Amino acid sequence: MVISLGIEPLAVADVKGYRDWVVGPELPAGCFDLGSRGEPNLELLLELKPDLITGAYGFGLDEAPFKRIAPLHTVPFYDGTEAPYRQAEIETLKLGLQLGRKAEAQRLIQKTAAAIAHIRAQLSGRAKQPLAVVSIFDDRHVRVYGEGSLFQDVLDRLRLTNAWTAATDGWGFSVLGIEELVAVGEARVISLDPIPPHVKIRVDQSSLWANLPCVKAGNVRTIPPVWPFGGLAAAARFATLLARA
Amino acid sequence: MNIMQSTAGNRARFMGGSWTLVALVSVPAVLAAYLTAAGLLRLLPADMWWQSLGVTDLTDPQQLLYRHAFLPRLAISLLAGAALGLTGTLLQQVLRNPLAEPTTIGTNAGATVALTIATLYAPWMLEQGREWVALAGGALSTLAVLALAQGRSFSPVAIIISGLVVSLTCSSASALLMAANREYSEELFIWQSGSLIQNGDAVVFGFAPWLVVAGIAAFLLLRPLRLLDLSDEGAASLGTKPVVTRLAGMTVAVALSSMVVAAVGVISFVALAAPTLVRLAGARTLRQRMIWAPLAGAALLWLTDRLVQVMPFASEIPAGVATAFLGAPLLFLLLPKLRTIPDRDGAILSSVRRRSGWVYLLPGLVAVALVLCAALVVGRGAAGWHVASAAEHAELLPLRAPRIVVALSAGMMLGVVGTLMQRMTGNPMAAPEVLGISGGASLGILLLFVATSDVNRPAMIAAGLVGALASLAMISQTGRRQALAHDRLLLSGVAVATMASAFSAVMLASGDPRLDTLIAWLSGSTYRATAADAIVAAVTATALLIIVPLTVRWLEILPLGEAASRGLGLGIDRVRIILVLVAVPTTIATLVIGPLSFVGLMAPHLARMLGFQRALPQLFASAMLGGMILVSADWAGRMLIFPWQIPAGLLAALIGGPYFMVLMWKRRR
Repeated sequence: MVISLGIEPLAVADVKGYRDWVVGPELPAGCFDLGSRGEPNLELLLELKPDLITGAYGFGLDEAPFKRIAPLHTVPFYDGTEAPYRQAEIETLKLGLQLGRKAEAQRLIQKTAAAIAHIRAQLSGRAKQPLAVVSIFDDRHVRVYGEGSLFQDVLDRLRLTNAWTAATDGWGFSVLGIEELVAVGEARVISLDPIPPHVKIRVDQSSLWANLPCVKAGNVRTIPPVWPFGGLAAAARFATLLARA
Repeated sequence: MNIMQSTAGNRARFMGGSWTLVALVSVPAVLAAYLTAAGLLRLLPADMWWQSLGVTDLTDPQQLLYRHAFLPRLAISLLAGAALGLTGTLLQQVLRNPLAEPTTIGTNAGATVALTIATLYAPWMLEQGREWVALAGGALSTLAVLALAQGRSFSPVAIIISGLVVSLTCSSASALLMAANREYSEELFIWQSGSLIQNGDAVVFGFAPWLVVAGIAAFLLLRPLRLLDLSDEGAASLGTKPVVTRLAGMTVAVALSSMVVAAVGVISFVALAAPTLVRLAGARTLRQRMIWAPLAGAALLWLTDRLVQVMPFASEIPAGVATAFLGAPLLFLLLPKLRTIPDRDGAILSSVRRRSGWVYLLPGLVAVALVLCAALVVGRGAAGWHVASAAEHAELLPLRAPRIVVALSAGMMLGVVGTLMQRMTGNPMAAPEVLGISGGASLGILLLFVATSDVNRPAMIAAGLVGALASLAMISQTGRRQALAHDRLLLSGVAVATMASAFSAVMLASGDPRLDTLIAWLSGSTYRATAADAIVAAVTATALLIIVPLTVRWLEILPLGEAASRGLGLGIDRVRIILVLVAVPTTIATLVIGPLSFVGLMAPHLARMLGFQRALPQLFASAMLGGMILVSADWAGRMLIFPWQIPAGLLAALIGGPYFMVLMWKRRR
């Protein structure tokens, strides 16, 4: 979010994880690694003397030690007050104000909306088949994104139908056995990278997977990583990758 | 008529069929069959069942699910259950140990850590399947356990203690690897909790031959295995080599349980419960147990898996976790009926040197002070190693001091509590972590996590205390029946600890957003320690150190045995006072450093090996050692992979475990 407002962060937690799972927007090369996202290194943070610390809501971290080091800006996400996309817009604006980049924030909001509208126009010519968005972590389970997820909001804006309509948890997904994918029928299935190579092999070997209606119909597409819990940049990235799939 | 009767009699004898045995297998089996049929009817009409088995119309989703999800799951629950029943029977016979099963002898933990390493760092090894990796890991860790127990002629307690040390080391290693690779661990979380969900029939067809081969091998070994009931000399005189028999039996058991781990993950308790239940139901001979235990195991796992599926929970409860919940209470009910085997060596790690100890406490104090100073002053920064100046300390102290104080206090408390418990029960393996007191405390805290979303420290302390006291009450209940019998105490402790870890596995697999806090706590991280935590921990530790000298006379007497203690005027009620004295500090320590630090087991032994024999010096020495271990672990954890951090509890277990193994190895003669 900070990067998409045109500011290079001094340090982030879990640089390798970001590059594997979030990918875009790209981190600057000289960015320090603060250690794990669950326990960012406070001593290093203290030494780096940042001007502002931003953090996401929901990691169970106590704010007090961070506030001693620098002003803290917390970004609440998935707190149930707004749909994720709308909340991403609100938080972008708030962060823009905090960083003195209100204009950039507004431009980002408009740019993202325009990009999604553009893709919607692009897709309008094609057949509107329902689609399901999944992450595959092991060979027996999938995480399916549905109501309450950022992806759902993007699909709505693209006028696409999510094939997964069953209930989801507070973060907008559910973890299920792959047999539950029978429920989506021959819908298109968008599978997010990265899938660990050995898992991919075992999934391909699975007789259940191979015979699922959506797999048999050849409707499974893999797209590069998108952070499912990201902000506007992730939303735009998802829409773009979806258009290419 | 007569002939028929005698045939029936023969058959009954062959199967070992007493009615209790038949009931033990058939009651859960009938129940499971009913639930299976009910579940199946919802999937596919009954007239299709048979037809669809032969020729499956894979374009019909219902038939696809039937053939490639429902049936494989049903089959694997039966096969895995039978395999675990057989494994447990073999291990218990070979090791002459009623507590032996793949978890207690370290096989599961070894297989798990091998698979974790392979998943994270060498995924190509898993392309052909998990079997060989699991087998290598399981075999290695079992060998380590046996090597450690070898000097004590494989006595039950020696095997359990080595199994515990090896398991704890292995599971700390896997927990550490998973914490460092958080996003990649989702797969491991799910798999570790023993899910029976299948994605086709490949696993079933891969696993079945192993079970058949192992079954045949086990029955070929029946006669020599039976001779192990005799003394080794007796068996040798009948023309068998007990060593060869043991080795063969172990090989079969370890291979089979590693295959279960590879196929479905860790399924706790079935391998322990099935043979135990079968024996209690009247299966006396080995042949009977080898027939009935796999049947009972299969029926139990089948029923568990069906029950899990009809439970009204949003996300899946893995069967491996459910067996722990069902098995642990069962074990408690059965404990009084279990025939205990007298342990031939009480003192597993006796000391050779004898010193009074007081003088040597001084260098200990100096060492503690040095470690504290180093932990406070030396650190790493963006530019490398760095010794903090006084000015910098104004900023660094609020970050470092709470962590160090918490680690020091928790270590001291666990050291003292461990010593108290070992002295009190006369059991060299007694420790808050082993006897399930830490487990009870964490169970209480975990239940609080489930019950409310608003979790604060006082509530956590209260919940942890209730849990710790409850498990203490259960332990003393067990102890009352038969003067603190060693293996029963251990068994009840293992039961509580297993339940706690099963519960945390459920929470980990559920994807709860508070997961990071939970993982940090389970792995013994001091990262979230606040000034308030530090004060609470320090006050409790100080109070404990002040009160404990008052109990010293009791502690000197108690190891002499109950009769002697009574004779010297020490009622068993006084012991209960000590029990409460154990619960409070254990809860506080568990709260701040997690349930798995291992210090409570290690510190007292280290103190004794360093020559602190008498109660009071040993208490203080193990307090110092405990504190020192955790402070060094916390400091090293902050330095080693900077800016990443290794939780202190994990590092203590990871370094302390192997060190403990080396000590056991050196003293094996």
